[in-house]
Amino acid sequence: MNARLDSFSYDDAIVRKFLFATIIFGLVGMLVGLIIAVQLAYPAANFGPIFAFGRLRPLHTNAVVFAFAGNAWFCGAYYATQRLLKTRMWSDKLSNFHFWGWQAIIVAAAITLPLGYTQAKEYAELEWPIDVAILIVWVAFAVNYFVTLTKRRERHIYVAIWFFIASIITVAVLHIFNNLAIPVGPLKSYSIYAGVQDAFMQWWYGHNAVAFFLTTPFLGLMYYFLPKAADRPVFSYKLSILHFWSLVFLYIWAGPHHLHYTALPDWASTLGMVFSVMLIAPSWGGMINGLLTLRGAWHKVVEEPVLKFFVLAVTAYGMSTFEGPVLSIKTVNGLAHYTDWIIAHVHTGALGWNGFLTFGMIYWLAPRLFQAPLFSKKLAETHFWVSTFGILLYVASIYSAGITQGLMWRAFDETGRLQFPDFIETTMRLMPMYWVRVAGGTLYLAGTVIFIYNIVMTWKRRPAAYDVPVVTAAPLDLSTPEPHAPAGTGVYARFVGLGWHRRWEGMPLFFSVMVLVAVAVASLFEIIPTFLIKSNVPTIASVKPYTPLELAGRDLYIREGCFNCHSQMIRPFRFETERYGDYSKPGESVYDHPFLWGSRRIGPDLAREGGKYPALWHVRHMENPRSISPKSIMPSYPFLLTNRTDFDGIQKRVDAMAMLGVPYGDAINHANQMARDQAALVAADIEKNGGPAGLADKEITALVAYLERLGTDIRQPAATAAAPAATAAATTPAPLKAGGN
Amino acid sequence: MTKAGDDRPIMDHEYDGIKEYDNPMPRWWLLLFLVTILLVPVYYFAPGDIGHGAKKEAMYQKEMAAFKAAHPDAGGGTVTPEQMAAIVADKAEVEKGKALFAVNCVSCHRADGGGLIGPNLTDDYWIHGGTPVEIHTTIDQGVLAKGMPNWGKILKPDQINSLTAYVVSLHGSNPANPKAPDGVLVAATPAAAASAPAAAPAKTP
Repeated sequence: MNARLDSFSYDDAIVRKFLFATIIFGLVGMLVGLIIAVQLAYPAANFGPIFAFGRLRPLHTNAVVFAFAGNAWFCGAYYATQRLLKTRMWSDKLSNFHFWGWQAIIVAAAITLPLGYTQAKEYAELEWPIDVAILIVWVAFAVNYFVTLTKRRERHIYVAIWFFIASIITVAVLHIFNNLAIPVGPLKSYSIYAGVQDAFMQWWYGHNAVAFFLTTPFLGLMYYFLPKAADRPVFSYKLSILHFWSLVFLYIWAGPHHLHYTALPDWASTLGMVFSVMLIAPSWGGMINGLLTLRGAWHKVVEEPVLKFFVLAVTAYGMSTFEGPVLSIKTVNGLAHYTDWIIAHVHTGALGWNGFLTFGMIYWLAPRLFQAPLFSKKLAETHFWVSTFGILLYVASIYSAGITQGLMWRAFDETGRLQFPDFIETTMRLMPMYWVRVAGGTLYLAGTVIFIYNIVMTWKRRPAAYDVPVVTAAPLDLSTPEPHAPAGTGVYARFVGLGWHRRWEGMPLFFSVMVLVAVAVASLFEIIPTFLIKSNVPTIASVKPYTPLELAGRDLYIREGCFNCHSQMIRPFRFETERYGDYSKPGESVYDHPFLWGSRRIGPDLAREGGKYPALWHVRHMENPRSISPKSIMPSYPFLLTNRTDFDGIQKRVDAMAMLGVPYGDAINHANQMARDQAALVAADIEKNGGPAGLADKEITALVAYLERLGTDIRQPAATAAAPAATAAATTPAPLKAGGN
Repeated sequence: MTKAGDDRPIMDHEYDGIKEYDNPMPRWWLLLFLVTILLVPVYYFAPGDIGHGAKKEAMYQKEMAAFKAAHPDAGGGTVTPEQMAAIVADKAEVEKGKALFAVNCVSCHRADGGGLIGPNLTDDYWIHGGTPVEIHTTIDQGVLAKGMPNWGKILKPDQINSLTAYVVSLHGSNPANPKAPDGVLVAATPAAAASAPAAAPAKTP
């Protein structure tokens, strides 16, 4: 042993910064969540283009995932990592760059999302300049983190660090490959993937954003803060190893379970399902290691609110990671997909696991970081019970809503007709449950307000200047052999003796490479066949690119966030084809950059909306949905009837699509004129049928042209739509005909 | 499950005061993991309709075939002019039809039938024929190209009958601000035309 000791101090200022960011953005994210919950129950709460559900919903998800949970992870990770490695972060400058960069990204998201700038991919909505910024900040975070690992004074890295490493690496990989896009303007881009492949990449990303942003980092936090708060050793080191590696390797495969019964090929769907089912045990390994660590400390749970929060968090984790695999079973998913059941599932995880783990962690950290006793333990207890009751109300009502709607969608009467053919009837049945959700969300938010008050009051008691304790530790000494010699002699005995893993723990960079290999191998096994097997997406000759005007309309559909409430993917079930028309084929979305299949049906599916209603119906419906369907909960879009279409911007969009391989042919040269010509035809039809005049240069016309095109190509004989130039005329018969019967 | 007394801390494992036990993994947990792994080949090779072999499109064809077998007469109801004449004359049918009209039809044809997005139903002009049988057919099968849904898939046959009775009853009601006439002039009232269905240009999609 080296006799010399290093003296150093930990950077707790950065932890305090992340702590404040966590509570501020937690409040914002939950408040937006409450607003959109009210909007669903009370559509008059949608205001104008900016404060409508379609634009606020991504703001809610991004705020709670990346701002609240993200800052909570960084807060805990900066605190725990320095202590677990017995070293200060390598660069305070990079730590601060990470902090301020991340907050700037959040502010950019909070501005651009309500303004309608979105890539239309769930949890990856942010447009390309912000994506580049995320990458830069992430690289700064990673460099700082990995160099810190090499500067450690603790020879081996603890399980919490394994989880942080896996999260940092995998989030980078997911972020880069799902966000590849061609920029069209400063805040507009098209995904380089289309249709089936884009859907696959999105849910490979989407599912693993849940895994590597909300699960593995929080397991890392649990492994540090739970044993610390309980003052008990971790239950089982062996369990840590097996559940860590199995979780990291298996999670990556599970994404396709978000796409069961869609146009994704069966083999991918099956892989997604079986790997999700195999995830039960690895997930529960974390829960068991957490709960069993509390053996002999349960009396402390009674007294200590921090532990109460941890127990509920870990239990919620166990429940939602059992439910996830159940939902991934194809037949169960057939009922649950597109319904509120999924919303209930994610909220068990988000409110219970992420929220409560964060609250418990901050209650534990606050007295240590602010060097003053917690303002009120009693208030923390109150927070616990108020928010727990809030979760119960939220989850119980939204489960009921999901299962109710799922069953109503598929109900047939004795004559074989849909029992509830009017979609709105299934929506109305949910209204009482939507109000209960509002009540549950209000309670949860009230708990958060109590929490913030408690933390701020604790902060107010801080000393005039924080005491910065000097820590001493021996420098890292790698000259001695590994203390754990491999047990036994045979290969099996060596393997289960885990000496090899102990050596890996002493080589953090090698460990990180092994994590990257596990994640990359698992990803490539699914990604390569998805892109290379031609039979995945049988081509349909009559499917043609959108006309320039329809493309502009599609971008309006994206801007308004229509995909947040309307799917464009009819599944092969009789109850779906009776309601919406023939099921969607993979070949139908080959020009969809990005795909817009959606994941939730708050309103009906639109995959075959084209030709269902006359153009005038859409105009009146967009202007005020309740004039057509009195009980509709859809926001009104009257501004589409007055906003001018950006015809001059259309050429750039068509060119970008052409660059991605969409066969635009002639449209490449005069997209603008083609769009104007088609708009004049649509507007004339609207006017002829008694609608308002002068809509040719208004956005509504582009949107209606897009909606009237949806799902109609497959009905056209291939020959009639031979040249893309002819597509405008050939594929928009509905608006050109009389709008009545 | 391992009892607390079995806990053996691992000697050199201590990180910022956190120790680790060398406890074995719970047996039931390992068993659960093994079972979920073994389910993979079971699911993949399962015979019948429960495993990977049950491809979604094939399952859909099966479901459709099963439905057709169970409902051989599914599809639009067929009615004779005589049946329709009796239904149209029945005041109770008209009342039932009125309620259905208010729920399903007013968004396009207006509450008084004067026409909005869809045509005026009260005048003498008909695009797809004005006899009760033709009106019945238009409602039942719809005119998909023009946005008229095929209500036969949504409403029951007797509901289509009631709706027809109500639509026929609207004739000549002269609502305020009707939509301009569209279609072909049918001189006789629909009720009279019922006895001569061939007189109207019978054009159904």
